[in-house]
Amino acid sequence: MSLPNDDNMSPHAQLSSHFFGDLLDSIIVDVASECHRIARLGLDRNLEEEEEELRLSAQARARVADSSSNGETNSKYVVDIFGQTHPPVANEIFDCMNCGRSIVAGRFAPHLEKCMGKGRKARLKATRSSTAAQNRYARGSPGSTYSAYSNSTSVNRMSNGASGVAGEEYSNGSFEEL
Amino acid sequence: MSSKINHHQKINGQNFPQPCPHLADFRARHGSKPFRAIQECLRVKPPGGRAAIRRDPSEVPRCGACGDASRPRLYACMACAAVSCHAPPHSSHVAMHATSTCNPPGHEIAVDVDRAELFCCACRDQVYDCDFDAAVVLAHTTSIIQSSKPENLRKRRRIDYRPWSPDLRERALMVSNASPIDSSSATNGDLPRGLRGLNNLGNTCFMNSVLQALFHTPPLRNYFLSDRHNRYYCQSKNGVKMCLACDMDAMFSAVFSGDRTPYSPAKFLHSWWQHAANLASYEQQDAHEFFISMLDGIHEKVEKDQRKPRNQGNGDCCIAHRVFSGILRSDVMCMACGFTSTTYDPCVDFSLDLEPNQGGSTKTASTKSNHSCNGEADSMNSSQNYGTSTLMGCLDRFTRAERLGSDQKFFCQQCQVRQESLKQMSIRKLPLVSCFHIKRFEHSSVRKMSRKVDRYLQFPFSLDMAPYLSSSILRGRFGNRIFPFDGAESDALNEPSSEFELFAVVTHTGKLDAGHYVTYLRLSNQWYKCDDAWITQVNESIVRAAQGYMMFYVQKMFYYRASERQVTS
Repeated sequence: MSLPNDDNMSPHAQLSSHFFGDLLDSIIVDVASECHRIARLGLDRNLEEEEEELRLSAQARARVADSSSNGETNSKYVVDIFGQTHPPVANEIFDCMNCGRSIVAGRFAPHLEKCMGKGRKARLKATRSSTAAQNRYARGSPGSTYSAYSNSTSVNRMSNGASGVAGEEYSNGSFEEL
Repeated sequence: MSSKINHHQKINGQNFPQPCPHLADFRARHGSKPFRAIQECLRVKPPGGRAAIRRDPSEVPRCGACGDASRPRLYACMACAAVSCHAPPHSSHVAMHATSTCNPPGHEIAVDVDRAELFCCACRDQVYDCDFDAAVVLAHTTSIIQSSKPENLRKRRRIDYRPWSPDLRERALMVSNASPIDSSSATNGDLPRGLRGLNNLGNTCFMNSVLQALFHTPPLRNYFLSDRHNRYYCQSKNGVKMCLACDMDAMFSAVFSGDRTPYSPAKFLHSWWQHAANLASYEQQDAHEFFISMLDGIHEKVEKDQRKPRNQGNGDCCIAHRVFSGILRSDVMCMACGFTSTTYDPCVDFSLDLEPNQGGSTKTASTKSNHSCNGEADSMNSSQNYGTSTLMGCLDRFTRAERLGSDQKFFCQQCQVRQESLKQMSIRKLPLVSCFHIKRFEHSSVRKMSRKVDRYLQFPFSLDMAPYLSSSILRGRFGNRIFPFDGAESDALNEPSSEFELFAVVTHTGKLDAGHYVTYLRLSNQWYKCDDAWITQVNESIVRAAQGYMMFYVQKMFYYRASERQVTS
């Protein structure tokens, strides 16, 4: 934006231009004064270090992008640093501390879930037996009860563990001890 | 302005420049009385704004020499209160005033009437004086009445680190009651201790990833490895009740045993599911939620054992809080009268939002508002609209002064009505270990959907948290004046422990409901990737370029001590 020169401006425009100039100068001094204080009192952040970190990250991203386009990264593991290999499903076998059975490590969580009576399927199973009994005389088909229940649980369950609504699923008294 | 290099001196624990000879002379001549006397002329408006010098509130300062009232810089002489303008390179009536033979010497020091800054006319530079700053701060604080709840922060006496070695008796005791780890085998050799894969028990990578970070959290690792929670003793005292700390103890023993075959944290899973009944299910879960739940589990158990409840903010209650707990300060300022209400709350981590728009955060850190607030909450941040998201950008955002909307008016105790307010967060006390959680999972209850934000976030390997401390934030709010503020007993500049080092990064790849967690660990300045049972070595570039979900930083003094000893890392 070029500065209008005073000669071909109306007095009105000259005056506004003058005021604008004063305001601008004042703001510039504000910033200069604040920065001067920050610098002189040693309050400024360590910008060199911060910028160095930014530079290193940018460099790293470029490097990784290059090597992935060459097909270097994300290859399957061959050996770990100890020289070992591991199957996709962990095959260590140990005893379940709840029921005593021998379980394969990679399948331990789903087993424990049922074993402890937790989880959706286990709860449904329990619910099915109790509500089915309740509804046997009220309605002919327990099927409608199941589907209504399973719909509500699937909507409320976020796979990243939003547990806020889980409480409602424990209306069945058998879990309250925990 | 001239660029003199000043030697600094320490006042109130802060670096303070030595006065120029003219200022020193002025002080010798008049003491600090003139600076304190000026307090009556200090006007601060609006609340939170800049201090100005006016003899009476409606005064319009004019230059005594030329009558101009519009110059950007008008100075009042500290010796005789004469107002003069300063407009280099054209003219400087204030310099003329100082050197004029009509005046005795001692008229070199003047004060900027609009900015309340001292100026030396002879040096032609802005100068600083702590008594003057103290007067300005007092003027600020009488116009902005503060109210703060008393903190229960027990002042901890700082003691020097003393390295410990067992004496002969202790050594004999240790040898007779312990079995040495075989460190001669090839698999153990040069590789750091405590590196051991964790078997995935069925969608448990969320748990494995957090556990790996915890096994290498220096204060936590030191606690368990020095037998501070002995599981045999705890169980014999309390029976075989569920104790997450005992299970942690068992896992630490297993992971640091020297056995490198992957460990199955089955017993721990069982215990944790008993504690967190609502999270007990075979499906993928949120690593951060697990982290919080685990800390809570350790806390609960330990607190039950103690007779009286301890202050969580101090970390006196349990090891989980001792390591991770910090204190957040929240200030809410009424925009009408300036009345500020302050509250303190403990926190075990920092959950940070990614910016809403693509690239809506700072590219460089330089525009962080160290500058005084001046009642303009958003002016500094609106100009940064390009570049990568950064962790420091998220922290800037977390600690920025935020105007609460008109639908969120706070009840002002002074005005006795609901007023629009300004809210600002800051960190009163830093934890030993800072866990930064990036909110990448958005759950919208309105739209009944969730999504994951994959956007890259830059994070540094070394992080200085000083700008986010309450002392820094408060100082910035009052124009960066030199004054020990309430709630700033250990000043940011003086406090060495605001520097942190990154030691673990938990990353999430894939989709919201079908993804995978992996942890990167930094041991002896070498990075390792912990992908369930697979431990591999990686270049630091991989870590820098990774999509961070939880980043763990430890106070530098711990990190240095840890990395000095290569063997035990």
